Amino acid sequence: MSPEEQSEDIARVYRFLSQCMQYPDAEWMDEDFFNVFYSLLGTLGAVNDAVEIKKKIDQAEDPVEDLQVEYTRLFINGVPHVVAPPYGSVYMDKSLQGTFAGNTLAFYRDKGFAMEENADLPDHLIHELEFLSLLTLENDLPGEEEFLTKLFRPWYEKFHPRVTEGAHHPFYRVVVQLIDFFTKEEDKDGFQPNKA
Amino acid sequence: MAFNLTRRKFLQTASLAAASVPLSKVVSANTGVTKAPLDPKGTAGDKTVVGGICEMCFWRCQLVGKVRDGRLMKLEGNPKSIDNGIKICARGNAGVKLLYDVDRLKYPMKNVGKRGAPKWKRISWKEALDECGSKLKSTVDNYGAQGICVFPHGASAKYPMHYFERAVGTHNVSEASFFQCRGIRDTAYVATIGKAPGEKVDMPNTKVLFFIGDHLGENVHVSHIKQYIQGLQNGAKLIVADPRFSASAAKADIWVQIKPGTDTAYMLAIMNYLVKNNKYNKAFVEDHTEGFEEFAEAIKGWSLEKAAKECDIPAAQIKEVAEMLAANAPHVAIHPGRHVSWHGNDFQRERALACLTGILGAYYVKGGWVPPKGPKVKGVSWAKEDHGHKYNLNFNHEEDEKIYSNPPPGTPTELIRDCAISGKPYPIKSCVVWGQNPMQTIPNQQKMKDLFNAMDFVMCVDVMPTDVTAWADILLPEASYLERYDYIKKGTQWDLSKEHQQYIAARMPLVPAMFERKDQVYITNEIAKRMGHAEKIPVRTIEEMVDKSLASANLSIEKLKAEDGIHIQPGKDPYGIPEDFSVILYNDDLEDSGHPPAPTYKPVPGNPKGFARLLYGRAPVHTFNRSQNNVWLNNAMPDNPVWVNDEVAAKLGIIDGDTVGFVNSEGVKSRTTTTVKVTPGIRKDCVYMYHGYGSANPLLTTGVGTGVDDQSLITKLAVDPETGCHGMRNNFVKLIKDGKVLDIPA
Repeated sequence: MSPEEQSEDIARVYRFLSQCMQYPDAEWMDEDFFNVFYSLLGTLGAVNDAVEIKKKIDQAEDPVEDLQVEYTRLFINGVPHVVAPPYGSVYMDKSLQGTFAGNTLAFYRDKGFAMEENADLPDHLIHELEFLSLLTLENDLPGEEEFLTKLFRPWYEKFHPRVTEGAHHPFYRVVVQLIDFFTKEEDKDGFQPNKA
Repeated sequence: MAFNLTRRKFLQTASLAAASVPLSKVVSANTGVTKAPLDPKGTAGDKTVVGGICEMCFWRCQLVGKVRDGRLMKLEGNPKSIDNGIKICARGNAGVKLLYDVDRLKYPMKNVGKRGAPKWKRISWKEALDECGSKLKSTVDNYGAQGICVFPHGASAKYPMHYFERAVGTHNVSEASFFQCRGIRDTAYVATIGKAPGEKVDMPNTKVLFFIGDHLGENVHVSHIKQYIQGLQNGAKLIVADPRFSASAAKADIWVQIKPGTDTAYMLAIMNYLVKNNKYNKAFVEDHTEGFEEFAEAIKGWSLEKAAKECDIPAAQIKEVAEMLAANAPHVAIHPGRHVSWHGNDFQRERALACLTGILGAYYVKGGWVPPKGPKVKGVSWAKEDHGHKYNLNFNHEEDEKIYSNPPPGTPTELIRDCAISGKPYPIKSCVVWGQNPMQTIPNQQKMKDLFNAMDFVMCVDVMPTDVTAWADILLPEASYLERYDYIKKGTQWDLSKEHQQYIAARMPLVPAMFERKDQVYITNEIAKRMGHAEKIPVRTIEEMVDKSLASANLSIEKLKAEDGIHIQPGKDPYGIPEDFSVILYNDDLEDSGHPPAPTYKPVPGNPKGFARLLYGRAPVHTFNRSQNNVWLNNAMPDNPVWVNDEVAAKLGIIDGDTVGFVNSEGVKSRTTTTVKVTPGIRKDCVYMYHGYGSANPLLTTGVGTGVDDQSLITKLAVDPETGCHGMRNNFVKLIKDGKVLDIPA
């Protein structure tokens, strides 16, 4: 496989993970989506997770509404409180739109990217994964590594365990584990510690 | 969960190719991050945006925002302001943290759980508005317009409030700013001088400042504080009546440590002393008052000694106050107060303040009560319609008169709650809460919960999740004051003795609204369309509303922007008594309504044995529960220690910093605890705490459970007989330490 082909593959993974973090909607969260999702888990040897999610989805009267309620509780406004706002600044600056968000936007710009008018904040998990996807498509592997090290992992390591501990639905617990897997570099022995 | 591969291995093998291709088929084409031309580095794009009008409190200082990359970095006073100038208070500064508060409402949400124990689901605006429109319309169709009750607050609630009152036609609207705050003051002054007084005392140019419970310094409104401090700097004497050594009492020449609820007796004795000793302003009384003889006769029983006994203060001190006022009249500033819904006898106290100002001749003179002559700007809203009195709860149809003769605008809260809960005289089945938090502004929280449980539909619009939003079926996120157009602030230079100037400033967004937050005109209009009132909509957008309003002053949004956010024009001299001005010392209309025609002292309930009266007030860095969750402000004042008299504390075995809870005389316990502040600066029969703490809503991740919610302990209701407004300081508490309930020594 050529480096370009490999980059395209990685870019697809980032984009898919970004899609998983979109607010659930029946327009895209359909049978095809879940089949692809289960297939990816199968490739990774996480069949049990796929089975657990499938069971939950199949048993639900309205699986998308279940996930909407869960998404709202985990990432927007929840009771007793929002579990894990998906914005880097929340963890690094204890605020939305903090310095960390500014630094993230500056990194995008340095690399020749900008935010669309109707986009969420630059340090939203979705946009960071989109950016990683675009960066990878340009074969900017040093840029990808720098972004992951300086602007992604520092907050994601705080975000990830919150979701793992706070999730009621296995879908988001597995999605954040997938994101963790694809954004975390192994040490020299190929070992990828799982703090969550 | 663990994956059976390492990332590196997975990425380097054919597994990735096999797995990745299908992924691209299930992702949407658009991304929020896109390729763009390179931007130059640095701060070249930094902007100072004009047009901000603060709404961290109602004073509404004029602001500018320092904006970088679309982020609001800092707020400052607008250098062009002739009101607050470049100064803003701690709350004003902390607006940045409200704007970017993680807990803020971001999207419309539907409660798929229960009221009070919600499960939220984000929904589209269309779904939210369809649901609000159809549910409210169904209420009107089945029960009539009166089937909707509305609890509004703040600048953004005006437009929707007018919609429901005028176009829909319900009388059942209750604003906390009137019925639990200043309404009594306004109507008492209307009954005395024909107009609401505001806080329009000419403090910079006065010789004596006279406060009843006002605690400026803890109650911070920038230009008001500038006026106050300028007055003190110019040598004004300060007289403060307060059971507590407040920030103002600390600066006072005379601190009258009065027994709570007896202020009217104190003022009656002052006025009687002035009359009896010919120390009132005879010329003013002759020319500008009505009913002086009857008034003097009505208050003649109030000797210094009688008031001293009632108020638990020395007679000599009352005389000293009266002499100081007489010696400096008419240049005395009798402050009308702001939050005045204290004891259920408050209309009479406010009448006493207005009459005291009158017999001192302190209206329209330097240092007295002086309304500035501001510019005229016409408001734009829903057209007024006459909906009659048939469903007005404050109307006695048998007697053909109002139940409460002098209410503020709207319907007294208690009448609405009783009707909604009992269904009599008619059903109220939908509730609209807009910017108000009735769980913490209206006494008796259980009754509020009973109201919500009696509804078919509850909708809330707010910027933050508050204690009340947990009771909504549909919760809508509103753009904050930093993200929208709306309020037009107008006024004059802060010191009336300086060059006369007028200003007009319209609120303009300093940054665009984030997420899916919308303004009040959009939300109201969309609901109106769904309720069948499309043809009555007065403006299509909030910008149009502001522009139409500004046009009445030959201005526009664009013109204001070109003038750095504030238009300034020559002003007018505010001093000089208008020809038709009159102070009604003895009011026959009040007598006809069955109320005392002259200011009258009505004793308030005394402390039950073992209990202290619960007093509350403003914190300098908070606006009640509205700022509880603000990280900066919470850091500055995270909780509300309870003030306990040092001798009482010694007898109770309590020391400074102890943690205590409360139980009130009706057996209601506080949900949380707070610390004790032991001080000689409070009477033995009261305890005091700042209002607005101890929120019960866990969505407020910073403010939840910090300090004690005084409102949860205010369960005994007093209702002012003239106005129907609540009195909230007739509640009594004991302290609870280590699970033991402590009797307050007499």
